Amino acid sequence: MSGAWKLTLREGIGIFTFDNPDSDVNVLTSEHLAALDAALDELAGRTDLAALLLTSAKPRIFVAGADIREIEKIHTKEDAFAKAERGKAILAKLENLKYPTVCAINGACLGGGFELALACSFRVASFSPNVKIGLPEVNLGILPGFGGSIRLPRLVGLLGAMPLILAGKIVGPEEALKFGLVDRLFSEKTFTEDAFAFTKAVADGREERREPKKNWMKRFFEDTPPGRAIALSKAKKDVLRKTKGHYPAPLEILRLFGRTYGKGGSASYRLESEHFARLGTTDVSKNLIRAFFLSEKYKKFRWTKATVASDGVEKCGVVGAGVMGGGIAQLASHRGIPVRVKDLNEKALGGALKEAFGLYKDAAKRKKIKKCEIENKMSLISVGLTNDGLKGCDIVIEAVLEDIGVKQKVFRELDALTAPSTLLASNTSSLSVTKMAEACAHPERVVGLHFFNPVNRMPLVEVIRGEKSSEEALERTILFSRRLGKTVILVADRPGFLVNRLLLPYLNEAAYLLREGFSAERIDGVAERFGMPMGPVELADQVGIDVGYKVAHILQEAFGARMKVAPILEDAKNLGLLGKKSGKGFYAYDGKKRTPNPAIAGGSGSARISEEDALKRMIYIMINEAARCIDEKVVDSAATVDVGMMMGAGFPPFRGGLLAYADSVGAPAILKDLERFQKEADAARFEPAPYLRALAARDGKFHA
Amino acid sequence: MKKIAIVQGVRTPFVKAWTSFQKVPAQKLGALVVAEILQRTEFKPKDVDEVIMGCVGQPIDAANVARVIALMAGIPKDKRAYTVNRNCASGFEAVTSAAEKINAGLDDVVIAGGAESMSSAPLVYSEQATGLFFKLQRAKTLSQRLGLMLQFRPKHFAPQSALQMALTDPSCGLNMGQTAEVVAKKFGISRLRQDDFALESHKRVIAARAKLSEEIMTVFTPPAFDKPVTEDNGVREGQSMEQLGKLKPVFDRRSGTVTAGNSSQITDGACAILMMEETKAKALGLPVLGTIRGYDYTGLEPSEMGLGPAFVMERVLRKTGVPLKEIDLFEINEAFAAQVLASVEALASKKFAEEHFPGGLPVGEIDPARLNVNGGGIALGHPVGVTGARLVLTCLLEMKRRGLKKGLVSLCVGGGQGGAILLERE
Repeated sequence: MSGAWKLTLREGIGIFTFDNPDSDVNVLTSEHLAALDAALDELAGRTDLAALLLTSAKPRIFVAGADIREIEKIHTKEDAFAKAERGKAILAKLENLKYPTVCAINGACLGGGFELALACSFRVASFSPNVKIGLPEVNLGILPGFGGSIRLPRLVGLLGAMPLILAGKIVGPEEALKFGLVDRLFSEKTFTEDAFAFTKAVADGREERREPKKNWMKRFFEDTPPGRAIALSKAKKDVLRKTKGHYPAPLEILRLFGRTYGKGGSASYRLESEHFARLGTTDVSKNLIRAFFLSEKYKKFRWTKATVASDGVEKCGVVGAGVMGGGIAQLASHRGIPVRVKDLNEKALGGALKEAFGLYKDAAKRKKIKKCEIENKMSLISVGLTNDGLKGCDIVIEAVLEDIGVKQKVFRELDALTAPSTLLASNTSSLSVTKMAEACAHPERVVGLHFFNPVNRMPLVEVIRGEKSSEEALERTILFSRRLGKTVILVADRPGFLVNRLLLPYLNEAAYLLREGFSAERIDGVAERFGMPMGPVELADQVGIDVGYKVAHILQEAFGARMKVAPILEDAKNLGLLGKKSGKGFYAYDGKKRTPNPAIAGGSGSARISEEDALKRMIYIMINEAARCIDEKVVDSAATVDVGMMMGAGFPPFRGGLLAYADSVGAPAILKDLERFQKEADAARFEPAPYLRALAARDGKFHA
Repeated sequence: MKKIAIVQGVRTPFVKAWTSFQKVPAQKLGALVVAEILQRTEFKPKDVDEVIMGCVGQPIDAANVARVIALMAGIPKDKRAYTVNRNCASGFEAVTSAAEKINAGLDDVVIAGGAESMSSAPLVYSEQATGLFFKLQRAKTLSQRLGLMLQFRPKHFAPQSALQMALTDPSCGLNMGQTAEVVAKKFGISRLRQDDFALESHKRVIAARAKLSEEIMTVFTPPAFDKPVTEDNGVREGQSMEQLGKLKPVFDRRSGTVTAGNSSQITDGACAILMMEETKAKALGLPVLGTIRGYDYTGLEPSEMGLGPAFVMERVLRKTGVPLKEIDLFEINEAFAAQVLASVEALASKKFAEEHFPGGLPVGEIDPARLNVNGGGIALGHPVGVTGARLVLTCLLEMKRRGLKKGLVSLCVGGGQGGAILLERE
């Protein structure tokens, strides 16, 4: 036996251990698969083994999956099919060993790793929180191709397999036991011994698989053809509703289930390879893999040169108890950080508590937290009208009115009140952090920390580097944001920072289109079909027309004619239409329903331009502005733009990112369209950025 | 004993039971004040060694409510907490217990106080009914179950108020109001005098609203958090002798004088006080509200528990060697107007002194202008586990306002005790 796989004997049981010599992580690369193949050939011939126990030598990982980089490199259906067939063939050898096999899951067991486990007769796991079991391939635009799509439904039934294969759900040990993914759980401390004892018992015939009882509903939906058809049809409806047809993988998975579930034999495995092959070469899959790598990279990206032990935050202050202030308080308290919220208005304080309470109740309903945690976490939030409690905060986040005078006053007060080591962070979306720092005797601790609405769900924060912000303050802020579970991008202190600077022109353009014969529903439809989670008109209502209007004007003032505010926004504001929060904006809202508001967004008359052009105008204006942002060093790279727009504005990951999409269209084509729009629509708004021109001239890519 | 300092304190508004705080359990009320005192003093949770809370009706779902409170308020889990119950003097007991811990060097910093949600007092099934329910739970066959269900009678479904039971002293078989009647009759305290005292309590609270707001924190209540509670709501704005006169005596229908109007109210609330040795407070640069000069508890006849203050105040003054006339401010908890008035009389009475006090000399006359100057339990309410802490806090704050040096706070205690603390300011 060679490479990463080793066999030792103990009391007639073979202990087969995977230990990747090249890294801390066990991953099924083609090299390790080849070694496994050879090892299994050897094991097949062993007549001295009563059973085989599969283990991992890595402390927190069983097998984390197949090598995603290898999947990324698949470019032909033949290649994909071959890789899937090969993996299956190897695991089939494992399944076909003449003696029973037990898989001991001590840590992360995902994707190919779990498919390996599924090829064993039994699976046991430890109670460790490191044990994470799942088949997340769907999130990369593919499906489990090493037999998992066939074996898992056969093991736990169609309904049990769907959350894992279709939705990429990852479970811990207790849930894994409950759903039948593992057969036993043992204490982490004695896991090695217990797994061995279990294997011995299996070899002696003293252990049996416990088959879970099926209630009548499960029996109907899983064991009868009409039931299956209904289950699959409903699942398909759910998938289409959530993905709007943009993601082929879940649909392909459902098709595969339809063709294979309930049928025994080995023909199903080949069908799995076929469906895998269809998915493995899609652009969607490549883009999702790209987005995955970006997300992993940015989780720990080193933005500054400072080295700090930790963020140093034991207590967080929030000044300004609006929707954002309340959301930030809930976010911090959820992570166990005591928060003190100050506002001059009692109603606002009550509002922040109500907001947090609602979020906690929701989380408890969705079983994300226990019921008792609602009160425990709420109690970490305390509120007051005075500065009591702020002095002792290690970070104070300001979320007051978007007015530089008001903000400077707050910063001046906080600067005098707190120790110089206290971070003062502004949640401003449009004002200058540097200007706020001017009001402070200690400007080096002033940074921007821009959250996105809704704070608990949007994964992005923009950390803003003020002119005088120290590396240490920025690094602490970045670590703090990560502690809150956010992905960070570091942005220069320019109007709109990154996300709003790109998003506002997109919304603005939609507003112009409303007066060019497009109805609100049509515009939103165009954007949603492109993949945006919410159309720009509905987004404007969601953000608040007054808020959008204000930010749009700040950007117009900063950047001039190309960001000229669409007149319809002025009209909407004058009509007192605020958007969702007042029930009426471009749409009228009644509960969950929305209908176009005839007072402003009638959209009568026919559109003079095509839907394709409407979409291009909205998207290309963002790409154009992004080019300026890179040129002006507002952000460090195209990758940062993509992460920012995917995580802060919902730009569809299946397109790879705003600038990855731009690269797929090609700079010359975009330039050509911009110049055309200059003539057909507006010269200033579509003025191509110099950076884009240069890129087009040499047919270069944003992502070099 | 070391000089123990009271650094600062805060309380929730005192709210009539079954009104605004109805949905707020004691642990939450306590957590609010403990968190708030940390904000107001900018004291770090990890520097608090112990939380001691008085609570008589402990929540059935939060055993050792002080611990639950401490954790909710963000005090690290490696710190200590326990709950005390000396009935109506639990708030005192928390404070004096803290002093003892600090004195013994077992704790350096303690948050002491009380939390009480009388609204949450459970309803209790009778012993018979409970027995039947229990058997029903254990029944295995259908016929067994049916048989048990047929044994239920309407009376089994009428639960008793635990509150009522808690406010009755089994040693003498009287509830608190009935003991007030005993004392009223013994000292001949007339209905008129009691009502007058009650009216004065309301008037004083109303006049002191601004002052009291210094010790009160605003509380937002679930689920809407839209009506902040900022004031004590037991006090009656338009209270008059006429209105008080209309009320019927509650505890003795025929010849009683104690009514709902001249008794304390059933109330929800909480209070937290930050305590440490005076030298430590000074070293940390913390302002000190006052120190504990002395304290004591004493026992007496349960049926006359209302006289507790008389007995215990004499003891404390004697032990500390401080004559009554040196005391600048007094607080005697207004459990009932009758018992406050009786206690005051007892302290001034030669006959009482001859009978009960060593030395046989009366303790002295308490000037009504120096007693409960900002009102008391009749107008504010008496959340039993909390009041003692409130008295300490409110007395010290008033001493500070008036530049006074000595205060004596006292309570009568159901079951037949009295408690008193002698407070000092520099």
